[in-house]
Amino acid sequence: MESTIVKSIDYNAYFGDNHVVKNVNIEITRNTVTAVMGPSGCGKTTFLRGINRMHELIPGATAKGKIMLNGEDVMEMHPIFVRLKIGMVFQRPNPFPNLSIYDNVIAGYKLNGIKLPKAEKDKIVELSLSRVALWNEVKDSLTKKGSFLSGGQQQRLCIARAVAMEPEVLLFDEPTSALDPISTSTVEELFHELKKNYTLIIVTHNMQQAARVSDKTAFFYVGELVEFDDTKQMFTNPTDIRTQNYITGRFS
Amino acid sequence: MTQLENELQALKVELISMWNLVESQLKKSRNALVNFDRDLAREVVLKERRVNAFELKLDRDCEDIFALYCPVAIDLRFLLAVLKINTNLERIGDYAEGISKYIIETESNFNQSVLHASNMVTMFDDAIKILADTRLAFENENTTLARSIFKRDEALDIINTNAMRNVSECIREDISVLSDSLYVLSIIRKLERVGDQSKNIAEEIIFYIEAKVLKHDEQVQSKK
Amino acid sequence: MQAQSNVKFRIGKSTGFQALTVGLAFACVVPLIFILIYIIQAGITKINWHFITNLPKPVGEAGGGVANALLGSMIIIGCASVIAIPFGILCGIYLSENKTSKLAYWSRLCVDILQGVPSIVIGIVAYFWLVKPLGGFSALSGSAALAIMMLPIIIRSTEETLLMLPDSLREAAYALGMPFHRVILKVIIPCGISGILSGVMLSVARIAGETAPLLFTAFGNPYLSGNVLKPMQSLPLLIFNYATSPYNDWHDLAWGASCILLIFVLLLNIFTKLITRKWKVQL
Repeated sequence: MESTIVKSIDYNAYFGDNHVVKNVNIEITRNTVTAVMGPSGCGKTTFLRGINRMHELIPGATAKGKIMLNGEDVMEMHPIFVRLKIGMVFQRPNPFPNLSIYDNVIAGYKLNGIKLPKAEKDKIVELSLSRVALWNEVKDSLTKKGSFLSGGQQQRLCIARAVAMEPEVLLFDEPTSALDPISTSTVEELFHELKKNYTLIIVTHNMQQAARVSDKTAFFYVGELVEFDDTKQMFTNPTDIRTQNYITGRFS
Repeated sequence: MTQLENELQALKVELISMWNLVESQLKKSRNALVNFDRDLAREVVLKERRVNAFELKLDRDCEDIFALYCPVAIDLRFLLAVLKINTNLERIGDYAEGISKYIIETESNFNQSVLHASNMVTMFDDAIKILADTRLAFENENTTLARSIFKRDEALDIINTNAMRNVSECIREDISVLSDSLYVLSIIRKLERVGDQSKNIAEEIIFYIEAKVLKHDEQVQSKK
Repeated sequence: MQAQSNVKFRIGKSTGFQALTVGLAFACVVPLIFILIYIIQAGITKINWHFITNLPKPVGEAGGGVANALLGSMIIIGCASVIAIPFGILCGIYLSENKTSKLAYWSRLCVDILQGVPSIVIGIVAYFWLVKPLGGFSALSGSAALAIMMLPIIIRSTEETLLMLPDSLREAAYALGMPFHRVILKVIIPCGISGILSGVMLSVARIAGETAPLLFTAFGNPYLSGNVLKPMQSLPLLIFNYATSPYNDWHDLAWGASCILLIFVLLLNIFTKLITRKWKVQL
């Protein structure tokens, strides 16, 4: 069942007078992994943060255009609702250092003041941690602080925290750039599992990662969406010469 | 299992089913030859398209895996081997088709004395067996079995050399078998090529498992 | 040879410099140790239950304590904390969350200036703004003056603690759909609590010994009093008054009071260190 879940229409983002994302039109299919790649400063992270309205938290940042989530424009919705439906995982693992592993997973409920019965909380914690393949590693130390885990485990904890809110879309902003190679491949394996239940959009500097994990790839260059196609197509026969130059490393 | 492992496994399965197809093509052309069954021969010619489609599919899959996963070490050697095995198998498929075309072209069954003198049916069976064993070596990553192919290819070569002499004798006795003899010799030449291709495949298998290059190294091959 | 002697000379210079830093660091500690020893020697013998629970006696009578000053100090410091802590922490949060706004720039400047204002000047200001309009000395006006002195310390330490928290923490909270007030209350403050508390403790320790602003405001009172709208005694005032008096009995009282004040400040500092270590959130 193929269907569009996120669709941007003439999306533009600015930092003050600096036009960083220019007229991006993209359609993202449900239950796929979309990789967004491009050189530094090409606006890919800004675009990603625009999808769940995190962009505008930065002073001086503004955006124009539409981003449709299931046909509803997120620019018209309250950011808090948007962020409940579109989860985000960041570059550096950032579990809440004052909370236990258990509380970190249900942080979205606990810190938002949503009261749940204990049994339901237990269920959410176990399900979320299982989905990120962390349950077996931490089930005996749920009361320990999140910062006791290794970097890769912390990042999976952060993914579990986003997953616990049952969002429709998960955004990843260079999720493995602070991790070692082994943790990186664990997280990459996770993407294949996660896409069964969620739609994933991943910003990455690492072309190989984009190639390995994604179904579709978008290539951004100086704020423009240059090419958006199946990953296989993109890496064997890109249409745009700029994409070809970028993925072959002939970029000046 | 990582995504790359999954892809490689799928590729292996794909290549083996191509292999099975090529084997059955070869068997069918053998049966068509022995029973002078033109319909079976036509079926082989028709099915050659499927072999070609397999080749294209495997090439495409290899290209995607190279592009997306940047394989290294044994994965890289496996892919390179698959690419070459793929070409070799397709060629064997072509030989099966070629043999079947001869059967369709000839008016009557081949002269039995020529067939007998050339020892062709034995050679055909050997060639099929060699191809099947090469496949087993690939499936089970068995390099000992792969190495045994070299010796058995030589046996085919000997049959080929002998057939030349024996068939020319047949012709000397009875000139009417000339055109049949030419067909038979062509078929034998093709079967000999099947043996060579199998040997190449065996070399690729050893290359991918042991990272040893045996190609053009007569000494090593004859020793084994 | 030339090169070798040169190296030797340089090694010697390096050793000398190291010795100098060690020596000077030690020299800093020496006065503190002497002060501590001297005050404790002079004061510790005066301190007993009687000293803590009784009012000062008139000159010539034996005994007498500092109960009024002790209670007064507690009340004045307590009131000052109640006034200063919420303002200080909220202001610190504002400064750390709005690094670039105009208002933040000016308030940061004002806080820095406030930190540099002499305490006696703050006392005078409090005298003219509170004591005079209210028609008399009162503990509350003293608390207000002390609160003004606490503010910059609390604000700056809160701000600096919160600035040290990584932005990723805020983003994590916002990305979960948390509104601003919850991000502050549930994430930012709990993570920075040790730094904020140590700032508060230090500011209390800092004002515990202030005398100058109290001279014009709380004024002093020889009797036990709990009314914050009336003059009230406090330890630093008592020390100032008694130490400058010509009576030996009163000198003894002053020594004892100094000792109590010193122990209070020391305990507060040690407590701060403990809290910082215990509640420190590992980032």
